[in-house]
Amino acid sequence: MRAGCIARLLLASVLWLSVAGTPLAEKFDEELTVRPLRDGKVASKFSFKTLLKGASPRDPRSIGADDVSQHYTVFPLALGQILREYAVTELHLSLNAGKWDYDRWGYPEEPGVGIGAELWAWMGDGAQLSIDDRWKGLRNALAGLFCASLGSLDEQRTTSPARSFEPEGDLPDWGIPHRIRHASLPSEHVCTENLTPFLKLLPCKSFSGIASLLNPHRLFDADWHGMSVHVLWREDEGVEIRLTFQSVSDPLRTSSGRKQDWSFRSLFDRTIDRTCPVAGSSRVEVTLPTYGAYSINPEPTSVEEGQARFHVANATKPLDLGLHLEGDFEYLAGFDSPITPFSAQRTLRGSSQAHGQLSLVLINHRNAPLHVVYLETMPWLVQFYLHTLQIHIDGSRRDDAMSDMMYIPAVPHSRPATFQCVLALPPGGTLHLTMDVAKSFLRYTEHPPDAQRGWDLPPAVLSLFDPSSNGSLEYPTNKRFYTPTLLVDLATPDFSMPYNVIIFTCSLIAFIFARKNEKKTLFMGNCTLTSGELHTAGTCPAQSTRLNRRGREWRRSPIVINCVYPVIINFACYLVGAIDHYSISLSLLRLCETTRRYERDISHPRGWI
Amino acid sequence: MAAVFCRFMASTSPLARDPSKLFFQADHVRRSIISAYWLIIILALPLWWHTTSIERLSLPTVRVTEQTRHGLRIPVSVGLERDPDVSISASQLQNSVDALVRKTPQRWEGLDIRILETRSEDVEHVEGLYTVVSGNEVAVRGRELEFPIRGGPTISGLADTLGALIAPLASTTEQDHRVAQYSPHYRLSFTLLNEDAAAGHFYTEWDVLDAISRHISPILSQLETLHDFTIESQVQFHAPLAFSPRQINDGFGITPEDLTVFVNSAEWTLSSSASNDPVLHFVVFVPSAARRPLHILDSNGDMTSSTSFLLPQWGGIVILNPQEWTVPSKLPSSDLDPVFSAFSNHLLSLLGVPRLPPGVKNAGHNHHALTDWQLDALLRYRAMSNAQGSKDTLKSIVNLVNQIENMPVGQDVRGDIQGALASLEQMLDVSKTSLTETFRLSARAVTLSSRAFFNPGMLALLYFPAEHKYAVYTPLFASAVIPLFVAALRELASWRRQRKERARQVHAASEKVEGSQSSAAT
Repeated sequence: MRAGCIARLLLASVLWLSVAGTPLAEKFDEELTVRPLRDGKVASKFSFKTLLKGASPRDPRSIGADDVSQHYTVFPLALGQILREYAVTELHLSLNAGKWDYDRWGYPEEPGVGIGAELWAWMGDGAQLSIDDRWKGLRNALAGLFCASLGSLDEQRTTSPARSFEPEGDLPDWGIPHRIRHASLPSEHVCTENLTPFLKLLPCKSFSGIASLLNPHRLFDADWHGMSVHVLWREDEGVEIRLTFQSVSDPLRTSSGRKQDWSFRSLFDRTIDRTCPVAGSSRVEVTLPTYGAYSINPEPTSVEEGQARFHVANATKPLDLGLHLEGDFEYLAGFDSPITPFSAQRTLRGSSQAHGQLSLVLINHRNAPLHVVYLETMPWLVQFYLHTLQIHIDGSRRDDAMSDMMYIPAVPHSRPATFQCVLALPPGGTLHLTMDVAKSFLRYTEHPPDAQRGWDLPPAVLSLFDPSSNGSLEYPTNKRFYTPTLLVDLATPDFSMPYNVIIFTCSLIAFIFARKNEKKTLFMGNCTLTSGELHTAGTCPAQSTRLNRRGREWRRSPIVINCVYPVIINFACYLVGAIDHYSISLSLLRLCETTRRYERDISHPRGWI
Repeated sequence: MAAVFCRFMASTSPLARDPSKLFFQADHVRRSIISAYWLIIILALPLWWHTTSIERLSLPTVRVTEQTRHGLRIPVSVGLERDPDVSISASQLQNSVDALVRKTPQRWEGLDIRILETRSEDVEHVEGLYTVVSGNEVAVRGRELEFPIRGGPTISGLADTLGALIAPLASTTEQDHRVAQYSPHYRLSFTLLNEDAAAGHFYTEWDVLDAISRHISPILSQLETLHDFTIESQVQFHAPLAFSPRQINDGFGITPEDLTVFVNSAEWTLSSSASNDPVLHFVVFVPSAARRPLHILDSNGDMTSSTSFLLPQWGGIVILNPQEWTVPSKLPSSDLDPVFSAFSNHLLSLLGVPRLPPGVKNAGHNHHALTDWQLDALLRYRAMSNAQGSKDTLKSIVNLVNQIENMPVGQDVRGDIQGALASLEQMLDVSKTSLTETFRLSARAVTLSSRAFFNPGMLALLYFPAEHKYAVYTPLFASAVIPLFVAALRELASWRRQRKERARQVHAASEKVEGSQSSAAT
C-alpha cells in the first residue's frame, strides 16, 4: 500500500515536473448560439472554452508545500490561482436572475439555471487542510473574484448531494475519495458588477470577438439571464474552463410590430467589429425557423440540419447578424404545451408564522413511467416533519411511489436539511407530495440588518433517472430541473424603533417591579410605625402629612414614588435620547476620528511615535 | 390607584386597619426585605463587572520600552593582510574609517567596524570576516577585497571603498522608498501585455520559463535566506492605457507625468487574489500596432533612450517596440534578453540589494552573481530595518492600547508581543556572532509584531462607545433603582427618627424617674 502510494507520488511529481518544465498548450474557443423559442422569445448562449492541455488538478495532499509556478497564456490566471490554492478538481458556479420556464422553453443548454447563486465543487479529501476549510476559502476567493456574496454560502447552506450533482468531467485517481460541496443563495442578485470580472477572465475581454456583444445594458434587461463558470478535468484532454452567458430576450417587447426578427444590434445593441485574435475557433450558430419565409443576413458559412453556422474570423466586419421573418409572429397551436418530460410545481402553503405545508406537484407528460430524483437542500429556517409526508397520485394515496429516501435533518442555527428520494410517476399521472413544515424562530442577531421581504428558500432539484439503467431512455438523464424558489415569512420583531422599544419595555419592567416593591414596603416611609400612633390605614400620621396650598391634605402616596417617578425618569430618558441622538452622532463622529487615526496608524505604524 | 386599592383593602380587612400588625410591616422583616434587594445588587455587581468587562491583558510595557532603548549593533570585522612592503597598518585604516563614521553617522548607524591584522590571533574566531588583500586592481571575490595597497597614499581611498561596500546606503534604518517592505514571501508576477491584439502584430507566446531561469532564478537562489518566491506569468491581449500618448515626430511618447498613471488597474487584471503575499509585478508592454514606436520622454518633452521604468514598491515595466515581424507571433529570445536583464535590475532595486560601488569589479566565479559583500550589506540593512520596524510596531501597540480604553487585548496578541520581544532579545544576543541568525530573528520579530498589530480581535469592541451602553442601561436601571433608593433612604430616616424618639422617651422616662425620685425626696 505504502509502496503504491510512493510510486503514485513519484509519478505525480514526474508529471508535475513535466508540467512545470514546458509551457502547456492552451486552446481558446468561443461560440454563440441563438435560437428562437416557441413563445416568440429568443434564447442566446455565449460559451467561452479554454482548455489547458495535459494539465491536471492539484493533488490536495500537496497543499502546504510549494506549488508549481503557473504560466498561462489564455487561461485566466486569477481563476487558476484559486483552483490551485484550494486544490479544486471540479467547480461550477452559476449566477442567474429570473425564472427559467421549462414548460415553454424546454431544458436550457447549460443546466444550472436555479435562481440566484449556486456553487458546487468536487474536491479530493484526505489533505491536511480539511475539505470544509478549503470550501470556505474557495467560496470567499470566488466571492472576491466575482463581486458576489458567495461568502454567505456558509455551513448553514452547504450540503453534499452527490447523487444529483455528479461530476461532469473525470475525477483523478489519487487513491483518496472525492467529495462534493454544494450551496445555493437564491436571494443573490446578478448585475453588472458580476459581469465585469467575468469578462476580465476572457482573453479578449469585451474588446474583440464574440464577447464584445456582451453589453450589460441589454443583457440585464433580458427576460432571463444567467452566467456560469465551469471548471472540469478530462483525463484525455486536461483542465477545461467554460464560461457561459445565457439570456432569453423578447423581440416582441422591443420591436414596434409583432415580429420575432432579431439582429445583434437589436438583441445586444452591439456588433462584432473585430475578431478575437487568439480564439482557435469563433463561431455563431443560429437555429433557423421551421415555418414561414425568412431571410438571414449575411449569408451563413454553412447550413446543416436547420442550423446556420458563421465563422466570425472570415465574416466581413462589422458583423451584424440578423434574422428577418416575413409576416408577424403568431402563436402556434399548442405553444404552451410542455416540452420537458414532466413539469413541477412547488409551493409553501399556510399563512401562519409557525407552521406551513410544503407541496410538490409533478406531472408526467409522457406515456411511459418516469423516475425522478427529488432533492431538497433546505436551510434550517424551515424544518420538515417527515412523518407527515404524504404522496397522492391522481387523487389516491400512494406512499409506495417514493423509494430510496435519504434524509439528513437540519440542525438549527448550523446545518441545512438534505432530503432526497426517488419518485415514480405513472404514465400521464400527477403526483402530489405534501409535508408539514415548521418555521423557525430566529435569534435577533440572525435577522438581516436591512429591510427585507422574507427569506428565499433554494430551489428543489429534480433529475430524471433510469432505474433499469440500460441507457435506452429517450430523455436526458443528466439534466437537472430546478423548481422556482420559495419565499418564507418568519416571525420578525419590530426593529424599527429600538430605543423606543427599550424605553417602553423598561418602563413596563420598572412598573411591575415597582408594584412588587410597593407591596413589600407598603407605607413604610410615610408612616411612623411606632405603636399607638397609627390608626387608620390609608391616612398617614402627622409627620408625612402636609397641607397643600388649598389647605387639603397633600400626601406622597407610594404609587408616586414607585410608579410615577420611574415613568417620569423614563420619559426624561426618552427626551434625552432624542437630544442624545444629536450627541450620539457627535460621539460617533469622534469615534470615526479615532478609527481613522487608528487606520492611518495601521498603514503607517510609525505615526504613533 | 394602588393607594386606592390599599384603602379599599384596608376598609374590608380588619387586619389591614393597623399596618403595624401586618407581619411584613414588622420592622425587622421590612428592613431585611429592603436590605435583601441591596444585598443582591451588591453581590451581583462583581458578576456584572466580570461579564461586561473586556479582556484586556496587561502588555509587557516595561520590556517594550527597555527594548526600544537597546539599539541593534552589528560588528563588522575587516582583516587587513599584513604585507611587509605596505606602509598601511590596521590602526591607520581604523582611524580613517572612524573619521568617515564621524562624518556621516547616519550611514554607519548600528555598525561597529573593527580593522584587524589577518595574522592576529583573534581573527581565527571571527565569523564572516572580510579581508583586504593587496592586488593590482579594485575587485571583490567572496568576502575578499583586492586593492592596490602598494600604490602610495591609498589609505583614504581604501577607507572610501570599504565604506561603499559595507555601508552602501545613505542610512541603515531609513527605508529607501523604492524598496518593497520586507516580507518572508513574495509573488513575482510576469505579464506580457499586448495593448491591443486585435489591431494586429502582437505576441501570443513568450519563452518566459527560459528567460526566468536565465535571468531571475540565479538572483532568487542567492536571496533564499531572505525570502521565498512564487513565480507566475500570464499574457494579456487587450490592455488599454488610461491616457493617450503624445504624438511626436518619431512615433509616440509618454511624459513623466503619464508614467505615474501608466498602470491601468481598472483594465489590467494583474493582481492576485488568492493570497495576501505582496506581489512584485514585471510587465512587458507591447504598444498597439497603431501606436508604435512608443518612447519615454523626459521632462523637457525630448525622447530618451530608456525603455523601462520602475514603480517604487510595485514593480517594473518595460516597453517593447517590436522591430521586425516574424510570422509565428512568439516573442523572440533576442528581444526577451534585454527585457529580462532590465527586470533583474528592477528586482534587485525592489528588494534593496545594493550595487557594487563604481570602479569595483566582481572577480568571482560568476560575474553576474551577487557578491558576499552585497548580500551581507542587504542582510544588515534588512535586520536593522526589521528590528527598528518591530520595535516601532510594538511601541505603537502599547500606545494604542493605552490610548483606547475599550480595546481588548487577548492572549494571542500578548503571545505575539512576547514572542516578538523574545526574538528581539535573542537577536541582540546573537548579533555578535551570526549575521544570518540575527536577520532570521529580526524577521521573526517583525512578523510577530505586525501580526499582533493587525489582530482582528483588537477591533472587536471599539464600536460600542460608553454613551450607547448608558443609553440602553439607564431606562431600565435608573427607574428600577429609584424606588429602592428612596425606600432605603426613608427606612434610614425612619430608623434614625425612631432612635431619636426612643432616646427622647428614655430621656423623658429617666427624667420622670428622676422627677418622681426628687418628688419622693421632697
